[in-house]
Amino acid sequence: MRIRQPRKQQGSVLFDAPGPRARWLNRVLGVVTAIVVLGVVGLFVWQLDRKGQWAWALWEPFTEAKVWQSFILPGLKNTLSAAVVAAALALGFGVIFGFGRLSERRWIRMPCGAAVEFFRAIPVLIMIFFAQAGPPVIADAFNRSIEPISAFEAVVIGLTLYNGSVFVEIFRAGIRAIPAGQAEAGYAIGLRKSAVMLRILLPQAVTTMMPVIVSQVVVLLKDSALGYVIAYEDLLNAGFVQIKSNFNNLIPAAIVITGIYVAINLTVSYLAGWLERRSRRSRKSAAVPLPADASALLATPFSKGPSI
Amino acid sequence: MDWNNFYDKLLNFGPFLEHSNEIWSGFLATIRLSAMAAVLALVLGTLLAAMRVSPVSVMRATATMYVNTLRNTPLTLILLFCGLGLRDTLGFMAQAAPTVSGYWLAVAGLSAYTAAFVCETLRSGINTVPIGQAEAARSVGLPFSQSLRLVILPQAFRAVIAPLGSVLIAMIKNTSVALVAGYFEATATMKQLFDDVGATVPLFFGFAIGYMILTLPTGLLFGWLAKRMAVTR
Amino acid sequence: MMDSAPAVKAVAANGNDAPLVELKNVNKYFGSVHVLKDIDLVVRRGEVVVVIGPSGGGKSTLCRTINRLESIDEGTILIDGQPLPIEGKALARLRSEVGMVFQSFNLFAHKTILQNVTLGPTKVLKLSKAQAKEEAMRLLERVGIAHQAEKYPAQLSGGQQQRVAIARALAMHPKVMLFDEPTSALDPEMIKEVLDVMTDLAREGMTMVVVTHEMGFARNAANRIVFIADGQIVEENTPEEFFTNAQSERAKDFLSKILVH
Ligand SMILES: Nc1ncnc2c1ncn2[C@@H]1O[C@H](COP(=O)(O)OP(=O)(O)O)[C@@H](O)[C@H]1O
Ligand SMILES: [Mg+2]
Repeated sequence: MRIRQPRKQQGSVLFDAPGPRARWLNRVLGVVTAIVVLGVVGLFVWQLDRKGQWAWALWEPFTEAKVWQSFILPGLKNTLSAAVVAAALALGFGVIFGFGRLSERRWIRMPCGAAVEFFRAIPVLIMIFFAQAGPPVIADAFNRSIEPISAFEAVVIGLTLYNGSVFVEIFRAGIRAIPAGQAEAGYAIGLRKSAVMLRILLPQAVTTMMPVIVSQVVVLLKDSALGYVIAYEDLLNAGFVQIKSNFNNLIPAAIVITGIYVAINLTVSYLAGWLERRSRRSRKSAAVPLPADASALLATPFSKGPSI
Repeated sequence: MDWNNFYDKLLNFGPFLEHSNEIWSGFLATIRLSAMAAVLALVLGTLLAAMRVSPVSVMRATATMYVNTLRNTPLTLILLFCGLGLRDTLGFMAQAAPTVSGYWLAVAGLSAYTAAFVCETLRSGINTVPIGQAEAARSVGLPFSQSLRLVILPQAFRAVIAPLGSVLIAMIKNTSVALVAGYFEATATMKQLFDDVGATVPLFFGFAIGYMILTLPTGLLFGWLAKRMAVTR
Repeated sequence: MMDSAPAVKAVAANGNDAPLVELKNVNKYFGSVHVLKDIDLVVRRGEVVVVIGPSGGGKSTLCRTINRLESIDEGTILIDGQPLPIEGKALARLRSEVGMVFQSFNLFAHKTILQNVTLGPTKVLKLSKAQAKEEAMRLLERVGIAHQAEKYPAQLSGGQQQRVAIARALAMHPKVMLFDEPTSALDPEMIKEVLDVMTDLAREGMTMVVVTHEMGFARNAANRIVFIADGQIVEENTPEEFFTNAQSERAKDFLSKILVH
């Protein structure tokens, strides 16, 4: 009779059920907040108006198919292709270095660990800069010469190394989240270490890791905008450089481009949340999923992520 | 094989030392930006978190909208908007010296962006406190303000140390993007040296180590604090 | 299990029989689910009322409405003749007079055992630190945890934690104590140590409302059994009557399931 769960977390930790006075206070606070928010937004709108930013001429380009065909969609395509290629490579990096970090051999484990900690500790942008300018210099040191690194390649390299390192940690945390009994049961039926990893831990860890992996893709997508800095012609560039130089409408362009980024990322974030809820319900893994927001912790040097 | 060239490109830390003044001021600029943005992000993030857990639906909606927008927008876009939009188009801080406006626009963009993450971190910290703790506090007769101050926030605070450390470290790394708002810090210095003296391996590693000196001790400090203050349940 | 029953009941019988807790026509909904239906219940000073019934029947909810951890939709609740305040300082003051013991203990995880017990007295009753500590040590002594006063809750066993929780509630000198399945989260060997403390309390004349599945305790310590199913009070009876000669089919059915083993 003692196997009852305590009541599930529900309602607010912070507040009692409101009485009449609390409800009145809440209403007043609601009205005050609404006034402040409307005031701030109104001020911004008014400031835009003062600078003539509501002129139809500045917004009209976004109703033209040509603007979408020649600027926005190609920019979006470049953003997405950099993100997709980098995500695929980063996953590969994550799996390889992840196995490396879990290896029992010191000489494999140490360098893999060092690389991961290094890439997690430094800004992506300096990797992108060096990915673009460094290889020709290194080739020159060996008296070779190579093709210049394209902006696309530099962005992909930077994103791959950083996000790959985060994937390594997601991967490790995913394996760690599987209860020890699973591996022990595997050894008990006579499986070897590699078989325990491949047949027991990994399949369960995939379910566990999916939500974080997907939410790390949002980080990757956002970081792809760093390509702007090295003149990669991505979505950001399409809005802030190309459209702006054609129509001199930076503010409208910025607003439209922001809308596109937010829509894409919200969709992917939603997917991550959905996966998390789904794998919480799923019976296919002995572990609870890593929460989708664990990726921030896993991107931190020396952090092993959330303790579950 | 030209061994001098080989040495210069791969091993010679000479240029790094020759430009140590510029590099030092670059990292100083990074630190100045980090410190100010951290404080403002913490303040704004706390305010947003308070709104997000409040019983006032307008507050919750406002904060949610802010967080969802800022978290899902690239920081590069935000900082670029601060420079090209706020200053160049709307004339915000247009009269100030470029170094001054660059600093404050970078601070504004970076702290506005980071505040969204601070908010979410604080909110999930509050959610780690089991509802039973609050019910016990109420049952003992503690009024709202005291249950919050004596029971809930102290526990939430402990749960939040490690994730806040992550947010802070991410923010330090993110200062590198401030160059698009026209603020000249360490990464901009590195880019300039790449252009002036070449993108040599020692130069890159020098800057990487500089960033690691900022991020790694911060990470260790927060990890240690979090472990020390952890609440065992 | 315990054979001290007559002594307990004698105390209650001698007690003042003014109503201390009164629920009149209480109704409560969770969304569209009607969890408390027209509840009328009177608990007199010094009385021990044991609430039993099938899971999901509304026992916890009933218990929690008495200090307004759950709000009610209809009806009135009086404590010591006064209507239950709805919010604010008045509600906090009332809660300080009603002790609550939870199934999952809910000791403040970041405070030591001693601090758990002294928090209310220093902050709500405004006792001095020294006074609060002295009294806390006395209560901890009484529940047998005094030597662990400097530990944190997580370092104690479940039974010990629950005894601390009882001491924490007693430190506020409550008029009535509410227990919501205080032993349901405990390993079997720890149940007795908690029930012993509760039996002592009952014997000393504390007014108690106890939700429990411990039939031994109900038999020995209760003045009255309240059987709740589907949000309704199906039967109220003395323990002897209830366990030997229950009136309602629901109660008979419930007892046959529970007492078989
Ligand atoms: N916080 C809540 N939200 C919605 N329904 C609830 C909540 N708490 C309890 N209930 C429902 O109310 C009914 C009574 O629950 P409860 O009082 O916990 O029963 P008992 O303690 O007798 O097992 C159950 O059907 C339960 O599912
Ligand atoms: Mg219950």
